[in-house]
Amino acid sequence: MSLRIGIREGMRTITRNGSLFFLSLLVAAISLFLLALFSLVTVNLYQAIKILDEKIEIIAFLDQRADVDVLKENIEKIKGVEQVIYVSSEQALTELRNELQDTEEILTVFEENPLPASFRIELESNFRNAQGLNEISGKIMLLQGIDETLYGGELVDQLKRVTRVIVLFDFGLLAIIIFSVIFVIFQTIKLTIFARSTEIEIMKLVGASDSFIAIPFTFEGIVQGMIGGFIAFLLTAITYRVSTFFFDNVYFPHWWFLLGTILGGMIFGVIGSSFAMRRFLK
Amino acid sequence: MISFDKVSKVYQKDWVALQDITFNIDKGEFAFICGATGAGKTTLLKMIYKDEEPTHGTIKVLNQNLKDVKKKEIPIFRRKIGVVFQDFKLLQDRTLEENVAFSLEVTDTPAREVRKKLMEILTYLRLSHKKYAYPYQLSGGEQQKVAIARALVRDPYILLADEPTGNLDAKSSEEITSILEDINYKGTTVIMATHSISLVRKMKKRMLRIEDCRLVKDK
Repeated sequence: MSLRIGIREGMRTITRNGSLFFLSLLVAAISLFLLALFSLVTVNLYQAIKILDEKIEIIAFLDQRADVDVLKENIEKIKGVEQVIYVSSEQALTELRNELQDTEEILTVFEENPLPASFRIELESNFRNAQGLNEISGKIMLLQGIDETLYGGELVDQLKRVTRVIVLFDFGLLAIIIFSVIFVIFQTIKLTIFARSTEIEIMKLVGASDSFIAIPFTFEGIVQGMIGGFIAFLLTAITYRVSTFFFDNVYFPHWWFLLGTILGGMIFGVIGSSFAMRRFLK
Repeated sequence: MISFDKVSKVYQKDWVALQDITFNIDKGEFAFICGATGAGKTTLLKMIYKDEEPTHGTIKVLNQNLKDVKKKEIPIFRRKIGVVFQDFKLLQDRTLEENVAFSLEVTDTPAREVRKKLMEILTYLRLSHKKYAYPYQLSGGEQQKVAIARALVRDPYILLADEPTGNLDAKSSEEITSILEDINYKGTTVIMATHSISLVRKMKKRMLRIEDCRLVKDK
């Protein structure tokens, strides 16, 4: 069986049935773009949740007589504590100045630094909830030299419940979009193959094997998916570029998106054409 | 070469296409399958090249019981049979030469042999001067000659022609039938389905007449 002739036949149908191929390509590109766009939203949603989750921490304020090194060592020993960062009162003031920026003259009302030294305590991921925060905070409060602790508590759990609902909703929508995209791409491929049923009939009549008949269509499906996927990637990249004018820190792992759209397009193309061919090759 | 033994074809419960058909066609024979439109001629031809399966009975073609020909063996089996249709079934986006070569290329024939065979068949059918023409640039008779060339280029043992003159004028019909006669003279078994009794009478060949799904005459 000659792959060369199969591919040549595929190229011929692409060049000679240009409008049909272009239409099918356009459908694939738009569908894949829709999928890539929604994936971009999903990726950024996850990124935001991850950042939010990492920000769940306990701030422990020290009294002036506290022995920083001993306290740090003791807090690090508590189960669930990942990292303890010491923030001196001077550092805290600098950070505050940076945050206030233009309005830092407010601070001039204080004669001396009003901010106490503190520990920023980062937790292991399974302790980043109301129960974990309460438990660890309670243990820290028992240590000598700790004045007060600050953490989200119940608010953290509420936030987690909300994000869980958003994630579920997002997954549902993503599943619907994936199914719609597959359906639209498959139907379009089916139509383009049906338009060439005479060609398939003749191939069968003159004794072409099933695999020989399938090669040009599979090749066409691959090329269409590849180009369609690339166009979808370009459109997503443009959308990303535009979105950076409106939002800060939009996350766009471009290599993954390039790989995903092209590979996804090719896989949909191959599976779509083989499904449509099955009717003819019974 | 071809034998039908009590062959019936039933599409649905009340739709019988052929019933109890029995005949033999020997190597090198020329036979007409006659009957009105819808009599079952096309179904009969389709069963010979295994595009349709009989509901009952046994069909043997080229010493093979068609029941034993497995699905994946069908392409190999079909390469021994040429088929020509009333509507030519040519690929409109290919030249005359490409349409004929297509038949060889899909069966993986080396390029050199394709060129040689093309030259032979196009010369034989006097089509060489139009080899770069597209089907829509050819007359009906010429298009049917291309279809014959496509069927013949693989040197089939059997040539099946389903109403090959149905869409042609008298002059072209005559030319096509004389080509089929010549092909038969060179040794290929030819079976031609037609509803034209006058053509059959003129040719003085064997005639199998189908009426109401049954074989009513064989002479």
